[in-house]
Amino acid sequence: MSYGRPSSVPDPSIVNDPHLKAHAVMALLRRRWREFLEFLFPPETDRWLAVFRIGMGLQVLGYTLFLRSDWHHLFATAGKGLVGRELGEAIASFDSPLIPKLGWLVAIGQHVGLGEETVLSIAWACLLCFGCCLLLGLFCRLAAIIAWFLHLCAAESGGLLAYGADNFMTMALFYLMLSPLPDQYSLDCRLFQAKPMDQKLLGFWRRVLQIHLCFVYFFGGLAKFLGSGWWDGSNLWRSLIRPPFNLISPDILVRFKYALPILGISICLIEIGYPVFIWMKKTRFLWLVCISAMHAAIGLMMGMYLFALVMIVLNLASFGVGIGLPFIRRPAAGTRHPRGLFSSSNSPP
Amino acid sequence: MISKRVYVAWFGIHFFLITAVCFAGLFSLIAEGATILPSALDTYAHKAELLAAWLLGKQAPAASPVRRSIATYLHAAGIQSGYTFFAPNIPGYYKLTLELYYQDGRVEYESPQVSGQAARLRINSLLNRLADARYEPLREVVVKMIALSVWRERPDVKRIRATFGSVSPPSMGDFEHGKAESFQPMFSYDFSLREEEKTE
Repeated sequence: MSYGRPSSVPDPSIVNDPHLKAHAVMALLRRRWREFLEFLFPPETDRWLAVFRIGMGLQVLGYTLFLRSDWHHLFATAGKGLVGRELGEAIASFDSPLIPKLGWLVAIGQHVGLGEETVLSIAWACLLCFGCCLLLGLFCRLAAIIAWFLHLCAAESGGLLAYGADNFMTMALFYLMLSPLPDQYSLDCRLFQAKPMDQKLLGFWRRVLQIHLCFVYFFGGLAKFLGSGWWDGSNLWRSLIRPPFNLISPDILVRFKYALPILGISICLIEIGYPVFIWMKKTRFLWLVCISAMHAAIGLMMGMYLFALVMIVLNLASFGVGIGLPFIRRPAAGTRHPRGLFSSSNSPP
Repeated sequence: MISKRVYVAWFGIHFFLITAVCFAGLFSLIAEGATILPSALDTYAHKAELLAAWLLGKQAPAASPVRRSIATYLHAAGIQSGYTFFAPNIPGYYKLTLELYYQDGRVEYESPQVSGQAARLRINSLLNRLADARYEPLREVVVKMIALSVWRERPDVKRIRATFGSVSPPSMGDFEHGKAESFQPMFSYDFSLREEEKTE
């Protein structure tokens, strides 16, 4: 008399069945794919988008106002400006002639009888105007597209003069233009009674922003870790005493000489640890405060105001909105979400 | 809502490109020997950098539609360069000094002038690029443009000598002992309104 095998031990003939094996693998892949989609499309409100839009509106305004007195000097052609727009445009065209440039706008202006100076002034005024529109939430989508285009033209034409803040601004405006605007706090929503956007689509664009920031800090932190100067504080010293970042007197910095190595290593740890600790509920607030404080310090101590603002806006929009403050209990938490391979602790608000 | 698959496909391509750009930047630093990693890795890093560049279409001919499409997308999305700011180490900074020789024999010293802090950051960016060997063919043209911009404001200047060099700031210990920064000229150009004489 046979009692058969215990049910927990599979029959070897079943385990070796290639059809069943393939079926099991497919089921596993389907589950992983579903989890991946759940991770990529979490339901979200549009509060983060409102913060992103308002922040980028301020950024565009800051960009135009800070450059108001140097705009023509930086972007005019050779013989009128500092270096001449043509050089930057030639370098961009070598990469691809399809990359937008201010030269395109000047050429269009010449067709309708407008001089280069007038076209540059109009471009500056349009950027300022659409920065205001973004801030208020008026014609959000159009404002985001035009702000992205004009800023891209300026960044590419002045390619030799561009720095990190320009890349981040282009990137942020690119994402803003593709995000499901308008948000419920915009004037568009009040004036035109726009329908609420798909929550999963809102979640997708926030995820894109979140993952991109993880790339930024991980690679930034890793590159810093590979430099000896970040371990002994000498890189901080060198970055703070070189023009045009030397807003603080070296005599003051010398007083904090023992703090510089600690600060240098802390910056590396904060950046390289960002892709891990920003996702964990218990450390998210701390990491967000640290990274925002780091950018605020860069802005105030090195005069990189635009760089600091765009990074703080990106961080607040991607991880700051809906964050739980430590030591403050939330009312009835509800049911727990199952955690899969791609599920995150970033539960929707 | 457009099919999720379209979004997922875009997401995959977008982050694939970002990953390639980031690795290209990182491997470039290692290949230059600028990191604390052993120099034996430099050759491998250079090969890896070339691989990343190939993935980004940079090995294709300049007129290749694939190369141009990728480049256009990277620039449009603001992801054409990696995130290795202030890394791995911070070198000295660069200075461009313009000696202005007036017709009456006076000599004045100038540097590229802009009015705002935001524009000063851009000048710093430009000077860093001029020091980069990849921008060597552009150096003379850029310096000439800058000299020309100074000339427009001071038409009575007879000749301009532009000297570009690196400045090594003192370490903190040296600074405490009173040591100042040192200037190392890299190249200089003489410009006059009618003739241009280059001395290097």
